[in-house]
Amino acid sequence: MVRLPKILTLFMFSAALSGCVEKSILDDIVLVNGLGFDYCDGVNIQATVVYPDYLPDQPPKDKTFTGRARMKKTVLQDISRQTTDPVVTGSINTVVFGRELAEKQGILDLVDSFHRDPRVGSTIFLGVIDGTAKEFLKGKYGIRSTGEHVAKIIEHNIKHEDLPRTNMQRFFSDYYQTGKTPFMPLLRKTEAGNVELTGISFFKYGKIADSIPAEKMFFFKLLSDKYSEGLHSVKTKEGEASVRDIRSSHNFSLLQQNPLKIRVKIKVNGIIDEFNGEELNPSTVKSVEKEFEKIIYEECMELISRFQEKEIDPIGFGQFAKTQIRNFDMENWLSTLYKDLSVDIKPKVTITETGVIE
Amino acid sequence: MKIHIPENKKISPFLVLFLIHANQIGVGVLGFQRPISKEAGYDGWISILIIAVAIHIIMWLILKMCSTVDGDIMSVHEFVFGKWISKILGIFVILYLCLTIVAILRSYIEIIQVWMFPSLQTFWFSLVFFILILYLVTGGFRVITGAAFFSVIIPVYILFIFLLVLPYADFTNLLPIFDHSFTDLLKGAYTMTYAFAGFEAILFFYPFIKEPIKAKKWAHMGLLLTVAIHLYLALIAFAYFPREQLQKNIWPTITMWKIVQMPFVERFEYIGIANWCLIILPNICIPLWASGRIAKQIFGIRQKTSVAVLALFCLAAVSLFSTRTSIQKYVSFAGTAGFYFNFVYVPILFIAVLIARRVKKNGPSS
Amino acid sequence: MKKLFWRRKKKNNDNRDKRLEDLLQKSKDFRSVSYKNPKTQISFTLSFIETLVDEKILHESALPKLLEEKFHRIEEVKDILPLSEVEITNDKDQIEQKLLNGSVLLTIDGDKETYCIFSAQKEIVRNVTLPEVEFSVLGPKEAFVESLKHNLNLIRRRLPMKELITEKLTVGNLSQTCVAILYIEGIVDMENVNTVRQRIKEIEFDEISDNSYILQMISDNSHSLFPQLLDSERPDRVAATLTEGKVAILVDGSPHALIAPTTLVECFSSFEDYLLNWTMASFIRLIRLFAISFSVLATPLYVATISYHYELIPEDLLGTLVASRGAIPFPPILEALFLELTIELLREAGARLPTKVGQTIGIVGGIVIGTASVEAGLTSNVLLIIIALAALASFTTPVYRIGNTIRLIRFPILIFAELWGLLGIFICLCFLMAHLLRLTSLGRPYLEPLYPPRQYDLRDSILRLPFTALYRRPQYLRPKRPMRFNERDLKKKKDIDE
Repeated sequence: MVRLPKILTLFMFSAALSGCVEKSILDDIVLVNGLGFDYCDGVNIQATVVYPDYLPDQPPKDKTFTGRARMKKTVLQDISRQTTDPVVTGSINTVVFGRELAEKQGILDLVDSFHRDPRVGSTIFLGVIDGTAKEFLKGKYGIRSTGEHVAKIIEHNIKHEDLPRTNMQRFFSDYYQTGKTPFMPLLRKTEAGNVELTGISFFKYGKIADSIPAEKMFFFKLLSDKYSEGLHSVKTKEGEASVRDIRSSHNFSLLQQNPLKIRVKIKVNGIIDEFNGEELNPSTVKSVEKEFEKIIYEECMELISRFQEKEIDPIGFGQFAKTQIRNFDMENWLSTLYKDLSVDIKPKVTITETGVIE
Repeated sequence: MKIHIPENKKISPFLVLFLIHANQIGVGVLGFQRPISKEAGYDGWISILIIAVAIHIIMWLILKMCSTVDGDIMSVHEFVFGKWISKILGIFVILYLCLTIVAILRSYIEIIQVWMFPSLQTFWFSLVFFILILYLVTGGFRVITGAAFFSVIIPVYILFIFLLVLPYADFTNLLPIFDHSFTDLLKGAYTMTYAFAGFEAILFFYPFIKEPIKAKKWAHMGLLLTVAIHLYLALIAFAYFPREQLQKNIWPTITMWKIVQMPFVERFEYIGIANWCLIILPNICIPLWASGRIAKQIFGIRQKTSVAVLALFCLAAVSLFSTRTSIQKYVSFAGTAGFYFNFVYVPILFIAVLIARRVKKNGPSS
Repeated sequence: MKKLFWRRKKKNNDNRDKRLEDLLQKSKDFRSVSYKNPKTQISFTLSFIETLVDEKILHESALPKLLEEKFHRIEEVKDILPLSEVEITNDKDQIEQKLLNGSVLLTIDGDKETYCIFSAQKEIVRNVTLPEVEFSVLGPKEAFVESLKHNLNLIRRRLPMKELITEKLTVGNLSQTCVAILYIEGIVDMENVNTVRQRIKEIEFDEISDNSYILQMISDNSHSLFPQLLDSERPDRVAATLTEGKVAILVDGSPHALIAPTTLVECFSSFEDYLLNWTMASFIRLIRLFAISFSVLATPLYVATISYHYELIPEDLLGTLVASRGAIPFPPILEALFLELTIELLREAGARLPTKVGQTIGIVGGIVIGTASVEAGLTSNVLLIIIALAALASFTTPVYRIGNTIRLIRFPILIFAELWGLLGIFICLCFLMAHLLRLTSLGRPYLEPLYPPRQYDLRDSILRLPFTALYRRPQYLRPKRPMRFNERDLKKKKDIDE
């Protein structure tokens, strides 16, 4: 008989408690899924949010709002004054930065707020926009909402194409990793009104230091991602072949210290998707392999010397050196030691299959 | 002070594994990686191994002590110090246990407030939680053991969730190994004493084990399991976070969940944190039950009353803290108290027991 | 109370006979007929309650003999009557009881002290029919009926062994219901039998009309929603559990047997599990487990995620959910409670109405109310799907009582989900766990073999392993003979081509 009043009191308390935690009912909140930041006047920033208005039996209609303030949260507050429901950050998929902002003012303070906010997931995608983020987010792309659409484009390019794996956690991981600098995909809105992945931007201390076009992303992916996929075309004297990289891997080894010398072995297993020459016999395959190895060597060397020149290390040679050498001098890494680093690329390409015809 | 415990209220020796392990794993496991790497860098896992050896030794001391007097900590106290001093010491033990209860519950509520519900009221939540705890504790020790058992078995799936973090893990972060001095490693080990505290619970429930001799093995296994889980989580966190990023995260274990995406659940941390209430259940049940039992022995009141009074006391104490800094101060105080209890007081008590035994052996003969 | 009453009866023993007759005279179905034996000229009187007595026995077996054979004294009647239950007695209590159970009282004029009483009971029993609550596709198709005699017969036929003991007790101050305790001596732990016997003896109630009364009265925790004794209408299941070392309780007038002690796991196992191949049976048990957890948790999870944890929802699903919720004027909890109550209404209405009307109500009501409320914008179609599935899933429970439990326990979970989202759900589940940990069935832990963990009993719990693996009887019953068979006697595995 003791239990019955116990249960009753429990329910009484529950009744008293109801509503003591703040609710965020799904249809009474603004589910922001894209957020963009633009350069404004050097002090304030201009932020644009895009959120979908879901309607039954129709594709969602995007709405955008823009506000100006010094911090992200105050911008969101600014935007809240224009919306009917509270703005929440938990459903953000994509955060983009206008190129001008990323070059002039830096993005670190902005990104930090996403790092601190427990509502924001770690898997959101960060990107730099060629142009302004506001214009970019205002575009109407496909049936999905803009934030989701951009996220899908980045995700698919990571999975099937040449973009190295990236998201907020990887950005921060690279940023905080000693001996490594972060990067972001570079996107733009084309004249036709589509989203296009145009390359990769490399950051140094929160500001863009360099960008590479989409054609070079394949080689950057080979160098930075442990396992990768992608597609690249190879021209030989027998004809042009496009090689799809099924599975590649890289392996760093330290050859010598003072000055540092690192060897990078790159193994590529690929298949030939397309060939416009006459016949694809074993010898042509061999020559495709040889030619591809040569391209990989040249392109990778070029990328690395470019990075050395700009004092950025997105591949993480510094991190590698640190794991190999005790008491490695991290302080002077980017400014002095990195420049003297010599890298030896050893590509090895194996064509495993050539399709169903010869 | 030999108290007879009915045979059907006792537990099988192998359940000691779950009791020890469940009482150790609490809120500490959500954020131990940061302090340890602050001191010992990414050689922190060596610190875990060091502390593991230490707690095994302490466990051996405790078991030796308990089997010498064949009873719990009160019997030990009485064996060494006599009736009156043992009662005074008992009050201190009760205070220590309440200290840990409040520390664990308050830090858990803090996690909820930071991660899930900023507007959650500490008092109301703790009230409901203490009703739950009292419901369990009044069921007796077997029921508490059951809660400990399920709190180990059910959340096992969380261990597998961490495997989904592995694509983001870079184990070269751990290199080079032995980059830190031995003092750094010891300091790191010291920070782990809070996360590993709780194994001393066997001091309180020793008389409730059916065949205490057989339970020794299981007690050590429980410790090993705790060490293994901490090692696992430490290694994954070290690989997932670069060192500087780890220093920024107060609860690295929870932050790691944020990366987990499953087809039906976009984010895991909310499930994980909510599930954690099951894990901290024995962390509060066992000390509350133990302190209630000691109070019963000291003051001669019914355990039902003593447990209820202590729960009210803890409820009031939990509601006192409101800011992160005050909570942190309090928790670190509780951590220090735990360190002194486990690693200073227990060895001293052990030596005292040895001396007392010798004196008592020689006493009648001479 | 009972004892006081008893003492008063003893005191007034003298006028009792009178009182009995007086009382009986008031009833119109009481008959007292006098005859005279033509051979010995002895007059005798037959007294009986007309409605309880089978007139066929009276007229075809008893009366011809009494009128044709010679007898002088009442003791001789015993030899002439061709009936099995004939007694000569002067115990008035016994006479009263027998008379009220359908026996005929024979008195000879001039002998007021001794009576002959013979049984001519009319038994109105329906035929043994198909089991309805625990229906199975395979296996025996007989179910218990309302007669204790018949039910005992059904069990005895399955277990022709002298060790099968049937103890009989009488409970109910007014109804004097006969209760039988069945167990197999040599296997059962006598402690269980003693507990059952003790608890049944202690029952104080005027009328016991069904075994459910007994179940509620002898449960360890009668406030709990969870059935701590299992009731079964299948003689095969009862026989099987008896051989495991359990105790069965049969109540006269009840077509169900109680099985004790039981565990939570057993409430989720059906007898058909033993009739199927073990892989199939294990699969079905897993499905059932999933269905039950879905049934309990689906609506609370919906409320929790919609009200608090929008972050958890995969983005592809987000649009569907928001669009379906868009026009609903109520908060999720009211929406969910509204639909849950509708389902409960349909169930209750279906259960009270005659079978055919009930089915129609179920289908029509379900479809019409569901579609209409979605179209009217009162509930979202996603929730309708979830609740309908949850209701369907709750019907997978093989034991009716646990199905009811599941119906009810989702409501507190729902309220907690509304309070604290996922956290509330977990807190509520912790309460549930605490409750289940505290529960016992005849003093045996209810959650066994999950807790305390017992390796052998786990083989027949969540999964059902093959019979070769089940060589031990369930350990929590503490059977006297723990082994079903010696597992070493199993044939050694043969090698290829031997």
